[in-house]
Amino acid sequence: MVLLEAFIFATVLCGFFGIIFKQNLMMKIIAMDVMSTGVIAYYVLVAARGGFVTPIVVPPVSLEQETTAYADPVPQAVILTAIVIGFSIQALMLVGVMKLARDNPTLETQEIEKGSQL
Amino acid sequence: MTSAITTTIVWMVVPLFLGFSGYLVPQLGRVFALSVALLSLGYGLGHIIEPSVLNWQLLDSFGVSLRVDSLSGYFIVTNALVTAAVVMYCWQQGKTAFFYAQVTLLHGSMNAIFICNDFISLYVALEVISIAVFLLIAYPRDDRSIWIGLRYLFISNTAMLFYLIGAVLVYQTSNSFAFAGLEGAPYEGLALIFLGLLTKGGVFVSGLWLPQTHAESETPVSALLSGVVVKAGIFPLVRLALLMEEVGWLLSLFAVGTAIVGVVYAIFEQDTKRLLAASTLSQMGFVLVAPTAAGLYALTHGLAKAALFLGVGNLPSRQFQELRRGVLPWWSWLAIAIPALSISGLPLVGGFAAKTITLDTLTGWQQIVMNVAAVGTAIAFAKLLFLPIQTKAISVQDNLPKKGKVAAMWWALLPLVGGLLLANSVYAYTLKSILKALLTLGIGWLIYGLMDRLGIWDQLRKFQLPRAVEQLEHLIGIMSLMLVLLFGMALA
Repeated sequence: MVLLEAFIFATVLCGFFGIIFKQNLMMKIIAMDVMSTGVIAYYVLVAARGGFVTPIVVPPVSLEQETTAYADPVPQAVILTAIVIGFSIQALMLVGVMKLARDNPTLETQEIEKGSQL
Repeated sequence: MTSAITTTIVWMVVPLFLGFSGYLVPQLGRVFALSVALLSLGYGLGHIIEPSVLNWQLLDSFGVSLRVDSLSGYFIVTNALVTAAVVMYCWQQGKTAFFYAQVTLLHGSMNAIFICNDFISLYVALEVISIAVFLLIAYPRDDRSIWIGLRYLFISNTAMLFYLIGAVLVYQTSNSFAFAGLEGAPYEGLALIFLGLLTKGGVFVSGLWLPQTHAESETPVSALLSGVVVKAGIFPLVRLALLMEEVGWLLSLFAVGTAIVGVVYAIFEQDTKRLLAASTLSQMGFVLVAPTAAGLYALTHGLAKAALFLGVGNLPSRQFQELRRGVLPWWSWLAIAIPALSISGLPLVGGFAAKTITLDTLTGWQQIVMNVAAVGTAIAFAKLLFLPIQTKAISVQDNLPKKGKVAAMWWALLPLVGGLLLANSVYAYTLKSILKALLTLGIGWLIYGLMDRLGIWDQLRKFQLPRAVEQLEHLIGIMSLMLVLLFGMALA
């Protein structure tokens, strides 16, 4: 569990530093996706701290079933929302990048920034 | 109780419903946007006049919990008046239904922020705001506006990812996403959530993305951004500060910091819109520093700043240097002067009451520093107030081509300026507070005058504060520094 947590934070940090150090706008967006993958994985990990089983009770209901260690559905439900939001923002950013690519074919942020100053 | 809940739910759903209906009936887009704003105005005023706390949960134990009180009321009224003003400003400009749909949806999600009571509803509302704001900034569809929008989206999305990690840490300890769960949460959770909210709200160095974004957008969009959208990050911080004592202490440090940083930026700015944006950075400090008085301050600041952006948008130039060479028609000047005086804290205008109440709740060194920031604000806005004015009546011919535009501006300013004059609080008017406000203004204007006489402004023109920190990489990098700082402060 600790090892998994360490991996997840490594993913988040990789994404974060990717956003800072990658020059290309496309790469920055992909880095952001990596970071959000890390965050999603962390929610799944937190949900699994009690167990891994899907919390669905199958009839006939027995006492034994109720005590199985099931995964916490709340973080999973929440992160589903976050995934959808994250992906729609990503789509929006890619549309913006497509528009920018016409005049800035290299998509380097420093060049775009220079070009967009007054 | 149930009727209040029904009203709230209807009021919450209407903006979303009308926002999307705007696509179906494009002619009615602006009417929808305006009526949504008026509905919120009524709802918000109701909660200010009759301060009852409405606290309830939708569905069962894992449902969304909401909380409406007078603090929400103030923020909702700010949102309503600014939206109404912006819609009226754009009324004749031929904006498409798309624009009004975004304004309506933005208004609805801002309202959601002001009544939500848990971290996940807050997250969803903040992200909807990011999307709507991006679309509004990028509305002109040129490269520059798209880049400004993308930059905003990058920063806010990265901040929100940190926030999400913080939110799950809170859940892990208290098994609930409610604000109250922050009490027992680990320090990491607190630091990450605050990083997200401070960045969104444009506070201290993590808010350095704000001047460029707010200054380079179109006039009505700038007014919306500075008037209400920054408060999306501030409101939850105020809520948390009222909920937890130790959080209030931590936030007041950041508040004082941002008040000073913002005001220094504002004094050095040579560009009218950047001055206004930098002053937003500083005024957010005033809102945060005294959570109990935050509602009134946010209201007066929102109205004044939106009015200033609309007024400045009608000036012939953005550079002070050029403006000082020409003369302004008096009605153009008046539109800037009233809100500028309000932000500087002149008695009789709303900003005075808000500033007095805010400064009165402070003690010790915070009060001293905030008073210095108030003097700085007076200096910065003196640059706008003392622009040369044309006092003679202008001939009709000069006036004609612009008449429609000026009329539109005054229609838009009506709710803002009216709100500023009405937002006075009787309690603030004591002899001591009036003298103090006049003294602050006097010192500020005196310093401005001296600097003018000695030619220091001309010297300053050559000197520019470094813009490098406003590059995207640096802004994201600042987030990691802020995170370390927050960790340190939370541990201490």
